[in-house]
Amino acid sequence: MDKKSIEIAKKCVDLSLKMGARQAEVYMENGRNMEVTARDGEVETLKQAESLGMGLRVFTGKRLGFGYTSDLSEGGLKDFVKKIIDMSRVTSEDEFNNLPSESVSGDRPDAPKTYDEKVAALTPEWASKAAIEMEKICLGSDPRIKTIDDVGAGVYVSDTAVVNSLGLEDTGRSTYVQVYAGPVGADKAGNSQVVYYWDERCFFEDMMSPERIAKEAAKRTVDSLGADKIPSGNMPVVFSPEMTKGFINGLIGAVNGDMVFKKASFLSDKLGQKIASDKFTLIDDPLRDRGTASSAFDGEGVPKRKLAIIDKGVCKLFLYDAYTAAKAGAKTTGSAVRGYSSLPGIGTSNLILQAGDASPEAIIGEVQYGLYVTHMMGRGVDTVTGDFSRGANGFLIENGKLTKPVQEVTVAAHMNDMLTGIDAVGDDMDLRGSTWAPTIRFAKLTVSGK
Amino acid sequence: MKRETGINRREFMKATAALSAASTISSALWSSAANAAMTPDNPLLDETLVKKLLEAAMSRGAEYADIFAEDGALSRLKLDEKKIRSAQTGMTRGVGVRAVIGQKVGYAYCEGFDEKALLETAKSAAYIAAEKPGTVGKINGHSKCPSINIVEINPGDVAAAKRADLLFRGNETAFAHDSRVSQVIGAYIDTDRLVTIASSEGIFVTDRRLMQTLYFYVIAEGGGDRRTGFSGGGGRVGFEFYDKATPEHFAKEAARQAVAQIGALDAPVGEQTVVLSNGWSGILLHEAIGHGLEADFIRKGTSLYTGKVGQKVASELCTVIDDGRIPGRRGSISVDDEGTLTQKKVLIEKGVLKGFMFDKLNAKLMKEKTTGSGRRESFRHYVMPRMTNTFLAPGQSDPADIIKSVKKGFYAKNFGGGQVNITNGNFVFEVAEGYLIENGEITKPVKGATLIGVGPEVLKHVSMVGNDAELDPGIGTCGKNGQSVPVGVGLPHVRIENLTVGGTDRGKN
Repeated sequence: MDKKSIEIAKKCVDLSLKMGARQAEVYMENGRNMEVTARDGEVETLKQAESLGMGLRVFTGKRLGFGYTSDLSEGGLKDFVKKIIDMSRVTSEDEFNNLPSESVSGDRPDAPKTYDEKVAALTPEWASKAAIEMEKICLGSDPRIKTIDDVGAGVYVSDTAVVNSLGLEDTGRSTYVQVYAGPVGADKAGNSQVVYYWDERCFFEDMMSPERIAKEAAKRTVDSLGADKIPSGNMPVVFSPEMTKGFINGLIGAVNGDMVFKKASFLSDKLGQKIASDKFTLIDDPLRDRGTASSAFDGEGVPKRKLAIIDKGVCKLFLYDAYTAAKAGAKTTGSAVRGYSSLPGIGTSNLILQAGDASPEAIIGEVQYGLYVTHMMGRGVDTVTGDFSRGANGFLIENGKLTKPVQEVTVAAHMNDMLTGIDAVGDDMDLRGSTWAPTIRFAKLTVSGK
Repeated sequence: MKRETGINRREFMKATAALSAASTISSALWSSAANAAMTPDNPLLDETLVKKLLEAAMSRGAEYADIFAEDGALSRLKLDEKKIRSAQTGMTRGVGVRAVIGQKVGYAYCEGFDEKALLETAKSAAYIAAEKPGTVGKINGHSKCPSINIVEINPGDVAAAKRADLLFRGNETAFAHDSRVSQVIGAYIDTDRLVTIASSEGIFVTDRRLMQTLYFYVIAEGGGDRRTGFSGGGGRVGFEFYDKATPEHFAKEAARQAVAQIGALDAPVGEQTVVLSNGWSGILLHEAIGHGLEADFIRKGTSLYTGKVGQKVASELCTVIDDGRIPGRRGSISVDDEGTLTQKKVLIEKGVLKGFMFDKLNAKLMKEKTTGSGRRESFRHYVMPRMTNTFLAPGQSDPADIIKSVKKGFYAKNFGGGQVNITNGNFVFEVAEGYLIENGEITKPVKGATLIGVGPEVLKHVSMVGNDAELDPGIGTCGKNGQSVPVGVGLPHVRIENLTVGGTDRGKN
């Protein structure tokens, strides 16, 4: 973040105090992005933008006010602050409305690497070339692939700063690059399928080549042609690493300290208890170098640390930001996430399901009759009730082999049964994006189909 | 900041985010009160600047260019644990510039209205083309868009305490409804946007867009069971809307849903006869067929409705309409985001596919006319063909007779949301409140299940359509390729054969 912006943030904090706030905090975000898609051998869309915005949180007495703006001109500042302070008067007094005393300024020796010059320097020409190449590879890889849904590449660079009236001044800088391909295949009957494959990384050299992404997408699309319903039944269900990612992300709502405090989570009274299979260890690791969601400080300037949320099946902790922690009589876990246009919420950084020792082939190989899920639709876990019911696509497993593609079925169970019923965790860690996970197997879920 | 899978290809429609702690209202723009100067009489950018920007956007040979400027703000009050937990205000202003050549689109945007930055933005958009400059058509003065939405009391003119009172009233009603109600979360959001749209074809128009939303989310606990309910409403309406659609009404409905489901049975498994209630269940149409009729998917050949105009794609009981001109609804816009007047379009008539929804780009490439369906989330996003208010025309059946006709089946009274895969037609929707139908009567509540089907198949299996057509109360937001826009949906009671219910109770099958 440039000095000028930091000065504006500080000025905004000072102004807030002068105008009656007890405490004030500015979260500022400066982003640059460039996105390209291709079609018919040329660039289809090229989108470029730079944006800057800031959010101001004030505590007037015990009341909370919040506002955001993209107008950082000096003239606009005063009106902006006044409006937020006025707005705060309508809120109720709440004794837990305070900035975190744990917030710390300055560099951390163990701060993760989150910025790659190479990514920051990527040009529209690079993205165009990657996207055009991927379309060509998709179309050329199999006669059943007739067109593409979308292929594209994008680059994102962002600077953030948190400044508050306790003297905090933290800045962060990150990059990520993203490449994806979604070819459309059609079978003889004219039924179509699309399967996306993608990569997303903080550092350029960690990324798969566009060629590999396109080939994998094409293979997966062709493999899914001819998908059909299967009969309903209770059976072992294997989640591909992508599906495991979705599953553990969904689970996070249940360890959100706010939901837990309100008894609005199916895990509310489960702290310290065994809630999952021994094979299930869930970690939030914000300090990994090159993690797409790594950062040294959270959205309130609190130092982040590695959190073992579920350890060998035991629920070890819930996630808190400053306000929720104070309310629940806990300590913030540095889990405040935010964008400039919202109040801090509770979330994770790099969420990791620890790998097991089984190969995915062995996990599937042990199943006589079951379902291998590669795509899901719908809301997923209801973390209040613990009910899970989603639409699923994938493959039927017969005698340890994937036999035919499946669609139009649902997979359902209660989360308690799902978590305790995980009987295999793969060694095939998928490191793309900010959630890392391997293949997992559930001993028995209900599949609804014909 | 969390960025999961880079790819948001999902068409996801849901009730306004209820419990999400970080509940961001996307990046869309909104305004509230204080901006008394907001009027569509004057454009956000003057004509000279608009011309300059269009010329810059076409300086490398674009065939078409347009500008979307917006100035807006949001105000949002949230009630949680019987308190007004937060009051938020947001202001956003910026400009998006698009340059088009063939099927190629260059898009750039910037925050604020600074002339120098705007010209740079227009040049970035122009980058897509590399030929001789294109010509900007004559702009015959600016026009104010006549609004189809009627607002008596601008929410911005209502004291914040009075707006907060809506939440307190709902809170009290929900807790008074039943002693098992344990949590009530409520939110009131009002937004006010001024948008100026200008194009190289000579369009130069300004529209004012107000929106209000009020909702309650309730948790009830009893006998070791915990269930939730959600209800809310709003639209492009004035504050007077809540005199009739009261907070008490929404809060009571949310509490009723939560309490009614305590002790609910596991949902059945497998293909069932399903009856959908009227109103919000219209997400069935939105997902099962609506998205597949958006022209971008048709042009790219990725929708399974490609090339099917004139063919029978649904039961003859089905007439599906998309109407952007119903006053006050979330999907109701006077002009679309390309400055085209919105329309009432019959998409399917008695089961036969009549046509698609077009924006300008797809219309031009397909040699069709725009249907006023070009929409975008904000100046930060480019236009795509989108739905407005999509509904099924009423049929002949008495809803009571529809229920009576089912010997054994599933009644879906309320939904969370839905999602569709355009290419294979697979769609799901999430039942928030469901019941068993036994011998023609609605009997026991069953836990939320997912319904799944393939769009065209499901519409062919519609066997009864009620005479009680109704639009949803005003809570729908539709997501497509990462852009969210407000929409309306509607449906009468409908009976569908052989729809797969994704529960866990195989005994009921």
